[in-house]
Amino acid sequence: MSLARLMATAWRQNLLVSVLVELTYRCNLDCFFCYNDLGLRGEPLTREQYFQLFAELRELEVLHLTLSGGEPLAHPDFLALGARARELGFVVRIKSNGHALRGELARRIRDEVDPFLIEVSLHGATAATHDRQTRVPGSFERLLANLAELRALGLRVKLSSTLTAWNEGEIEGMLDLAGALELPLQVDPEVTPRDDGDREPLQVTPSREGVLRLFRLQTERGRALGGEAPLPVRSADEIAPAPAGKHCGAGSAGLAVDPFGNVYPCVQWRRPVGNLHRQTLKEIWQGSAGLAEVRELTVRAAEVVGAHGPRASLLNFCPGMASVLSGGDPLQVYSSAVQRKELLEEVLAEEARRPLLPVIF
Amino acid sequence: MTAITASTVLRRRQDVRYRRIEDEAVVLRQSAAEVLVLNGVGASVLDLADGRRPVSAWIDALAEEYGADRETVSRDVLEFAGEAAAAGLLEPVPGIGEPG
Repeated sequence: MSLARLMATAWRQNLLVSVLVELTYRCNLDCFFCYNDLGLRGEPLTREQYFQLFAELRELEVLHLTLSGGEPLAHPDFLALGARARELGFVVRIKSNGHALRGELARRIRDEVDPFLIEVSLHGATAATHDRQTRVPGSFERLLANLAELRALGLRVKLSSTLTAWNEGEIEGMLDLAGALELPLQVDPEVTPRDDGDREPLQVTPSREGVLRLFRLQTERGRALGGEAPLPVRSADEIAPAPAGKHCGAGSAGLAVDPFGNVYPCVQWRRPVGNLHRQTLKEIWQGSAGLAEVRELTVRAAEVVGAHGPRASLLNFCPGMASVLSGGDPLQVYSSAVQRKELLEEVLAEEARRPLLPVIF
Repeated sequence: MTAITASTVLRRRQDVRYRRIEDEAVVLRQSAAEVLVLNGVGASVLDLADGRRPVSAWIDALAEEYGADRETVSRDVLEFAGEAAAAGLLEPVPGIGEPG
């Protein structure tokens, strides 16, 4: 059986494979378009509650555990939690801005947490652009120094970026920079509203031309590598499954947990389905009425998206994004998804028109 | 490379992570950033590779579980164990059950 078919089975049978935990919303940078709801209040989970959560996830045979934030390294128990995650045998990923990933802390993360992957944010190819987005002068130069240190330590690193109106003119330079660093770079072409619905980040939405240029560059670079796209390191939860009757694995194979114990079907779909101060994760997974609704919605989302034809997957439709953009309807296909499909189809058509290379005998 | 025999004691390598889904398993080897899918027997072998029981105990368990001929199971398990060790999924436990 292929991995895609196995993941489809997980979606169908509601087998929890992947969980993202936002440890804190504290951060040492101040990114303009950060999606966190910094006004959210509640009782933070304690170290013991995290240990209990991780033990439950182990019982549920979860494979992937992502430690995120805010900046997860800003959580005072980060190393202890990461070490426990390692002991329990999870594939641990860390999503970090990279600002504190240096020196003794970086070495201890390697030795005590042994992450499968650290995803680090890159916001531009120059200090002017990167620092404009992070709103912390010197963050670009420090990131470059830290990335060199992480590589020297043998840590596996992937760069992640969001295409914005501010960095779209540097995307080629960012891909070059990642190439020079010998690190994969994944670029998300969509800026999202904040988790509380605040649309301020959309002020830096990239232009249509900027997104098209990104898709062309990615295609060209994939072709230059002999047809193999420069895909980032992937893990089982990132594999697109074979048809499963559901649009995505939100709430079926994955969950997200915020610093106050609220549980969501996905990091992008902020529809609470329970809270760890009141229920165990297992109780939520097996008995939450909200989660049952989410699973049903992913079935209906598959039907909605399927109506967009054989290339509907190019929409990269996200029910969470749809919900926040529409004010609550997770099935409403939004304009940036439609644009994405149009632009990708344009690039695919350009590729189809490319002449075959002459064969010289 | 160590020859795998029925008396060899093997364990999962430290960087191996896996999740059973139905009768199969998604396996991830961290150091190689590699994802594999194992069939039912392969998944059971990963479960059994605890670094304490010799391969012969796996053969007994699997022959009983699948109701299969022990000789056939033995051949398949030894072959798979050798492949899994070569692929970096399993490793012999030093000093326990190693062939002389």
